[in-house]
Amino acid sequence: MAEIDARFVKPENFVNRELSWLEFDYRILEEARDKTLPLFERLKFLSITASNLDEFFMVRVASLKDMVHAGYTKPDMAGLNPEEQLVKIGGKTHELVALQYSTYNRSLLPALKQNGLRIVSRHEDLNEAEAAWVDEYFRANVYPVLTPMAVDSSRPFPLIYNKSLNIAALIHKRDGEEEGAVDFAMVRVPAVIPRIVEIPVNEERVVILLEEIIERNLSALFSGCDIIAAHPFRIMRNADLSVDEEGAEDLLVEIEKLLKRRQWGEAIRLEIEDNADKRILKRLRKELKIQPADIYEVNGPLDLTFLMKMYGLDGFDHLKAEPHKPQPNPAFLNDDDIFTNIRKGDILLHHPYESFEPVVNFIQTAARDPEVLAIKQTLYRVSGNSPIVAALAEAADNGKQVSVLVELKARFDEENNINWARMLEKAGCHVIYGLVGLKTHSKITLVVRREEDGIRRYVHLGTGNYNDSTAKLYTDCGLLTCHPQIGEDATAVFNMLSGYSEPQQWNQLVVAPIWLRKRFVRLIQRETANAKLGRPARIIAKINSLCDRDIIATLYEASCAGVKIDLIVRGICGLKAGVPGLSENISVRSIVGNFLEHCRIFYFENNGTPEYYMASADWMPRNLDRRVEIMFPILSLELQEKAMHILEVQLEDNLKAHVLKPDGSYEKIDRRGKAPVGAQDTFCGEAKAAVKAHQALQDPVNRRVFIPVESHEDL
Amino acid sequence: MANHLFAAIDVGSFELEMGIYEMSPKNGMRQIDHLRHVIALGRETYHTGKISYRLVDEMCRVLADFSRIMKGYQVEAYRAYATSAMREAINNKIILDQIQVRTGIQVRIINNSEQRFLSYKAIAIKATEFEKIIQKGTAIADVGFGSTQLSLFDKESLVTTQNIVPGVLKIRDILSQIQVSGNMEQSIVEEIMDHELIKFRKLYLKDRDIKNLIGIGDSIMVLMRYAGAPTNCITCEQFNQVYEQLMAMSPSRIQEEFGVNESYVGILAASAIIYMRILQMTGAEMVWTPGTRLCDGIAAEYAQENRCIKFTHNFDEDILAAARNIAKRYRCGAHHIQNVESLAAQMFDAMKKHHGLAARDQLLLCIAAVLYGCGKYISMRNFGYCSYEIIMATEIIGLSHAEREVVAKVVRYYAEPFDYNKAAIHSAKLTAMLRLAVALDASYKQKLTGCRMMVRGDELVISTSYEGDLSLEHMMVQTCAPFFEEIFGITPVLKQKRRV
Repeated sequence: MAEIDARFVKPENFVNRELSWLEFDYRILEEARDKTLPLFERLKFLSITASNLDEFFMVRVASLKDMVHAGYTKPDMAGLNPEEQLVKIGGKTHELVALQYSTYNRSLLPALKQNGLRIVSRHEDLNEAEAAWVDEYFRANVYPVLTPMAVDSSRPFPLIYNKSLNIAALIHKRDGEEEGAVDFAMVRVPAVIPRIVEIPVNEERVVILLEEIIERNLSALFSGCDIIAAHPFRIMRNADLSVDEEGAEDLLVEIEKLLKRRQWGEAIRLEIEDNADKRILKRLRKELKIQPADIYEVNGPLDLTFLMKMYGLDGFDHLKAEPHKPQPNPAFLNDDDIFTNIRKGDILLHHPYESFEPVVNFIQTAARDPEVLAIKQTLYRVSGNSPIVAALAEAADNGKQVSVLVELKARFDEENNINWARMLEKAGCHVIYGLVGLKTHSKITLVVRREEDGIRRYVHLGTGNYNDSTAKLYTDCGLLTCHPQIGEDATAVFNMLSGYSEPQQWNQLVVAPIWLRKRFVRLIQRETANAKLGRPARIIAKINSLCDRDIIATLYEASCAGVKIDLIVRGICGLKAGVPGLSENISVRSIVGNFLEHCRIFYFENNGTPEYYMASADWMPRNLDRRVEIMFPILSLELQEKAMHILEVQLEDNLKAHVLKPDGSYEKIDRRGKAPVGAQDTFCGEAKAAVKAHQALQDPVNRRVFIPVESHEDL
Repeated sequence: MANHLFAAIDVGSFELEMGIYEMSPKNGMRQIDHLRHVIALGRETYHTGKISYRLVDEMCRVLADFSRIMKGYQVEAYRAYATSAMREAINNKIILDQIQVRTGIQVRIINNSEQRFLSYKAIAIKATEFEKIIQKGTAIADVGFGSTQLSLFDKESLVTTQNIVPGVLKIRDILSQIQVSGNMEQSIVEEIMDHELIKFRKLYLKDRDIKNLIGIGDSIMVLMRYAGAPTNCITCEQFNQVYEQLMAMSPSRIQEEFGVNESYVGILAASAIIYMRILQMTGAEMVWTPGTRLCDGIAAEYAQENRCIKFTHNFDEDILAAARNIAKRYRCGAHHIQNVESLAAQMFDAMKKHHGLAARDQLLLCIAAVLYGCGKYISMRNFGYCSYEIIMATEIIGLSHAEREVVAKVVRYYAEPFDYNKAAIHSAKLTAMLRLAVALDASYKQKLTGCRMMVRGDELVISTSYEGDLSLEHMMVQTCAPFFEEIFGITPVLKQKRRV
């Protein structure tokens, strides 16, 4: 790799990844505040900001805290050391939370009420009939599962589980001799009972949150005591014992030791109702050893993720966006089997506009096809009762050689993964439980089939996981091909994953952690060189995150040479766009829509012979250096057009796109005088239109030719 | 389905390797899978003479996995060959047994000449350019981990092939024992190599005009990849540049630039030096790397046997050419042996129905005919024994050890009385034919060129239109007739057709 000019790698050229991530959460929050959206969709966006923030704390903030504890002071690419980062994150997060709750209270609650759904925020607001129903509900359903815990000299402070919702109370014994002596008590809000409880006593629809019901009936738990104050609270712990690898790899050992010493992760965030009783707050602070900066006093219900459940309430369909039904890809609208269809030419699937079903079908057909010899697949975050896992087991049962690499290190899913991996092993599959020191993030399936003219390999390469439920929510691309060179490379990938040496050469695929980074740098630098020679030079990249220092610096270099660079970055972006003398040729936009933007597409002009790639990797150090990732080219001209179309529509989007300004803020596009374009809506419409067009083409009346059915097997 | 699936396994000195091939008469041969596992068997063999249990265990584990993969592809047949490291390990029989018991795979140890012959078949099948390239003087350098094989081609046929030790692993190990600075290392390796190469040059290269160098082996491919040549061909200057760059780099830089791991750096450097010395000695202008591996050769051999591929190049001719060159070195009369060789071949064909031997035996017979007199170079009197020893000590490319032994015995019993206890009937048949063939040119005057041979009843009638005196030949045929009769039940008769 050629050396990068020092002027491109100065800290001031970069944005800290955590702060950039918070910007992303702001963008989602902005969707929740967008009054043009259906009301319930806004609830969903608000819920997503909350669950995102939870994950952010558990993984990122926790890692930074660990670095601080371990005395790690190396600054990130933007020149901030962990402590400085935490301070900045703290400030920004408090603002974000304040905005979340003002959105909830000032905008969403009134709007819901207007639309016939009343949320009882405080149990004191219940009317008589409602109160009676609620109390009965408490007696019958809630009371039996509660475990109240009082703290006094003989009972230690109880353990509070990570992310659990609890109610803290101050109680005073009525028959106590001492006057004014109060005890601390708490009860956990059970997770087994739905948090949203609908009160069916009026015409109007009314819901109340479970913690309010419990708070109202707290005296039933502590009989003989007066309840002086009670407030729900929630803590987040640094309990995720795997440290996020980024930035601190050299410290992993140190941190691991540290983690072992600590039985329970330290509390890193406390959320509590605002205006809580000072005594309760003081007690919690002391027991949890939490810093004032990590306390979030919120004006509203804790843990807004319940809004996702609220979205699921029936009867409000007119307040939700019409769900998109994934459409079949026209290439499959015939009676041929999937292998025949792939042989006709490469197929590019664009989920969730196009259905994920062909991918499932691909594996299911392979499992049953007598000519198939082997199926190999990498699996990362698969849904529990996945039809793919079932098909793989069936294939092994049918005597096929089935090799599966199951990534156990997929965040938060470890246990789930182990279970079905064992199941696959029992069925006779050859299961590889990940690679030492690397996460396998690539998404690839290889089917080896014995055909008339010899062995043929069918490959599916994707940008998203083999998960049929997320495939309805995430935008991803997948390529089905039987290109011999890709087949050869796919075989080599699986050989490498099984521990064999690298192949002598790769034909088409580019694999991380060994080759991908170099290739990206080369591809960008080729554009730079072309621009310097006055040739056309352009880069378009659609990714989820961009925070790799070297890639960003290489992009700056390209921009300075005159390469026009358009980036579509959903989340973190460590690059500064449009800065004179550095990145005036770079534009960055972020699209936040109903579907989570997830596909990674890369376009390089290459002096008039454009190259298109898709990948499982983002431009992040962890993707390029510490994971097995695959980048694959789009070779067929027809599919290149389709890929270009995806990029173009995203670049034209002026409804959901936010553009990054040189000052680091994101702004929606000024739409005056322009026709509104929403990329995701456009793709939904196009997918439907494509099916219709295909059907019209097949209609005998339109075609004016009748096709006789020759073989009666089809009848 | 006319497609055969075949697995070729190479138990090498540095790697275990398996290739899965698909072959059919219609489509030829195609590799569909290729697995490599690095295991330094060579290091142990060359140091301790043995392969330790730890490595055997690892080897069995990988081979068992190979076996699983073969089943997955439902291959019809496999061949597993072991080379230098296993060949030289004194406990190799035990290991082969272990492997068979634990994995079901039967591994055969092949000797150097078989091994080199296979890799050379692999080149011929993979490359259409091969025929074109060997029109001009060409050297093939197969720098292996155990040793280096250097072959010369001129005008389409093989001139010689020699095995030169040390190989890469040995050189690297020698280096690791000497504490010297970087530059010194290079010159030491150069000296070691030159020492061997000078002999080669004096004996075989002489003043042949070598235009091309074909490089096979792992490390040349790494070098070529770095050179970034679009075809597999680079000029001598380009190679020189890569070499200079490599030698100037630190080990960590080499790892980065050439994309190899730490343990490979030494190997890469050692083999680059070997290639460079060979290149300088031969004066070749182009370096060509077909990128073939031993597995390809194993598969090519199988494909050829199953008539899935046809070589345009005649390999038997190469083996014979190699034998003729040996004969030439020991000053056997070229015209005479050429005549004996063709008489022997003719006799083999004429006797086809009666000797029941395989086509391969004809080649062995011809080689025996070429080499029967080579011992005379050492001792005129005791030449049978000397020929035997020479043949046993000389590598003949393409012949297995067993085959070479057959040739050596046949040559020996040509000159000495047949030993009924020690030799097999197979050698006896060849010996009988060789004796008769030599008898037919007893005068060294090629009188019977153009004769006809035919079995009539219980006689092998050799008829010639030669008009001069044949009494010496008559007498010699009669001398060897009893043995011939004894073996085949057929009496050789020499008939001189005279023009009326």
